[in-house]
Amino acid sequence: MGLLLPLLAQRARRDRLQLALWIVGTAGLALMATAAVGSTFGDETEREAILRLTIVAPAILIFRGTPNGAGEGEFAVFLILAFLALLAGLMSTFLAVRHTRGDEEQSRAELVAATPAARTLPTVATVVHGVLANLLLAIAVAGAFMASGLDASGSAVAGIAVGATGVAFLAIGLVAAQLFRTSRSANALSVSLVLAAYLVRGLGDALGEASDDGLVRTAAWPSWLSPIGWAQRTEPFAANDLAPLLLSVGLAAVLIGLVFMFQSARDSGASLLPGRAGRATAGPMLRGNVGLAWRLNVGAIASWAVGAVLAGALATTLTPLVDQIGTDAPAIADTLRQVAGPSASLEEAFTVTFFSMVGILAAAAALQAVMRARQEEAHGSAEPVLAAPVPRRAWLGGYALVGALAIVLILVLAAGGALLGSLAADDPAASAENALKSALAQAPAALVFLGLGLLVFVLAPRLTIPVGWALLAAGAFFGIFGEILGLPDWVHDLSPFAHAPLPVGGEVDWTGGFWMLGVSAAAVALAVAAMGRRELTTDG
Amino acid sequence: MGSVISIRGLEKHFGRTVALDGLDLEVASGEIHGFLGPNGAGKSTTIRILLGLARASGGEARLFDRDPWRDAAELHRRVAYVPGDVSLWPNLSGGEAIDLLSRLRGGTADRAVYAERKARLVEAFQLDPRKKGRAYSKGNRQKVALVAAFATPAELYILDEPTSGLDPLMEQVFNREIARAAAGGATVLLSSHILSEVEALCDRVSIIRAGRRVETGTLADLRHLTRSSVAFAHVPGQESAVESLDGAHDVVVSAGRVQFTADSDRVAALLPELGRLGVEGLTVAPPSLEELFLRHYGDDPAMADAPPSAPTTGAGAPR
Repeated sequence: MGLLLPLLAQRARRDRLQLALWIVGTAGLALMATAAVGSTFGDETEREAILRLTIVAPAILIFRGTPNGAGEGEFAVFLILAFLALLAGLMSTFLAVRHTRGDEEQSRAELVAATPAARTLPTVATVVHGVLANLLLAIAVAGAFMASGLDASGSAVAGIAVGATGVAFLAIGLVAAQLFRTSRSANALSVSLVLAAYLVRGLGDALGEASDDGLVRTAAWPSWLSPIGWAQRTEPFAANDLAPLLLSVGLAAVLIGLVFMFQSARDSGASLLPGRAGRATAGPMLRGNVGLAWRLNVGAIASWAVGAVLAGALATTLTPLVDQIGTDAPAIADTLRQVAGPSASLEEAFTVTFFSMVGILAAAAALQAVMRARQEEAHGSAEPVLAAPVPRRAWLGGYALVGALAIVLILVLAAGGALLGSLAADDPAASAENALKSALAQAPAALVFLGLGLLVFVLAPRLTIPVGWALLAAGAFFGIFGEILGLPDWVHDLSPFAHAPLPVGGEVDWTGGFWMLGVSAAAVALAVAAMGRRELTTDG
Repeated sequence: MGSVISIRGLEKHFGRTVALDGLDLEVASGEIHGFLGPNGAGKSTTIRILLGLARASGGEARLFDRDPWRDAAELHRRVAYVPGDVSLWPNLSGGEAIDLLSRLRGGTADRAVYAERKARLVEAFQLDPRKKGRAYSKGNRQKVALVAAFATPAELYILDEPTSGLDPLMEQVFNREIARAAAGGATVLLSSHILSEVEALCDRVSIIRAGRRVETGTLADLRHLTRSSVAFAHVPGQESAVESLDGAHDVVVSAGRVQFTADSDRVAALLPELGRLGVEGLTVAPPSLEELFLRHYGDDPAMADAPPSAPTTGAGAPR
């Protein structure tokens, strides 16, 4: 215990900001969702109508949960529980890898292992740290549900379900850290497992059996394969049954046992799976600074693109649902029209709403290219490139080009996904045209974020990453939810997304798009020119 | 034979911190120039300015008689660089990083020649080019940067502590590559803390401290600035006799021995005098550069700032 405490304190100290953000953010989301039950989704009759819609379009369940009735608590759980569990999983796997493989890879673990704490105790400390973090998360989530006036026992079950899912994924992250030599690989595996758990459960929910009144749905067997599915089986506010969580805790116990077995069998710094060898010579793509910028970003762009294809496909797949929303759930229909403007047909409004999300994805990918430039600069790997005959302007220009390319790729792929989805629609041609225009309409707004990100990078390099994400979050929030939340117009108008052309009602007004294209071109040109006058700023 | 590097009164401020405070540095074409100084003296800052990664706050820096900030990209066609702390791309293998940097520097125009050179260097430095950047140890990251630097011939090699993290065998390989480059007429600016490396390679050295040059010259010039150290078994009373000898300085008694330093050109004249005293267990150590370095690396600025032409303070005296 005397040795464990300092290790725990070190972990708590290192994570204090990060974990606080995860926990507060997750609980905040729970609060927003529960508050939205009353304001956005109308009264119980409307909520019942929405739940019945899922019989027509079970795909919607993938991103929500298993319906358990139309009461406020049950409906809040239907809206958000699976997503909260997903966040708990991500928080926990990152935590597990950070304090085990991450430290080992950076040789920090060696410093600690050479003290009497030895090799095993730091892992024990990571387990305790992770369990405590999930306990805090459970309390925060339960508190958020209760703060919206929901009953205490259901709130507690929801909180515990989220925390238990986190603990299960903590153990999964720890196993991944044993398997791979680098924290990058360990994180890649555990994040894919968290996402897989989310999708498998979604599949199970979608394939499930609906009750006669359409308000309750029993998930099919795939949901039993997923810790997130187990969390849903607690049925907070309905059955309030904690028994399924024994599966999460049991899985965690078995996996953590395995982790200690693995760890006692291997050398410090070694891994169960051998590291993968790379190429001995560079391929033809890795030719210049643009090729390098592309190579450093292609992985991230690919993952944003997957999201874009899914969003595009969903936008058109769910179209059959739209007409029913109009008649059965006027509250939702109003919400959609607020985003797309009053002249929009409901179907168009629906597509535009989805493509606003795609626009955010595209902007995120472009901003990430800028952030990569910052990481290159901060970590010193930009130096050898700039010590070669590569002008500073061309170096930054490469990242700007890759960012713009990312936007185009993501929008095109989203439109492609929409095209696939529209094959099932009544009028595929119109649906496809609408999707293509909607995708195109998002490009200028996303480019504005690229330009802004580059300007921040040039003027205040150290702020690139935090300010970049903050700009995107604010832009997305004010631009898309500003009107729904009833914020003043000028706040809403600050966001580039608010000026994206709306391809609705036949005539499209592209003026906003051209303005934004001009603004972003000017910003990119200014940033690249200014890079010629700026020194490298290496330190963190 | 003009100057490849010519720096006059160079200044660099980071906010209130003064990194370079009127630095002068002259490196002639074809010479291997040792660039020495304690940590934080401003060596890396100077190198970053020479590479156009940072801009001078004052004074003048010229590279091949051009402005290293404005003409950075063009100048870099003639320069190879090895950073002190090599940071590689985590998801690129060492071989890919070497190829990329060589392509950027235009060294792969003749593929066969490049492949041959790369193969020879990878072999000589015993580097595994298939590992990912993240998996390399510090020494191996250093090797990747060295192979990339030598795989494309340059007119000027700027090397910032290039052998830190290398084992002695690899240091020899490095010395061979430097000799090969120098034989081809290249100029080298070598920042280093390793005395033996500097003694083995450098024609001239400059020592900087707190952003200023405090010493420059050939190794022979610098050796002149130091004294030989002499010691013999202590018999009470002898130390006062030694103190009166012409050319003997800083006499101390320690661990049962009398120790003093002597002007190097006076040692021969001192020996008969010591013979007359009948000293036993006599040792005479030749002048060492280490002593000079320690004097400049030491944390007493008054000592280091003493004009090199008048070394009146006790060099290497016990503190």
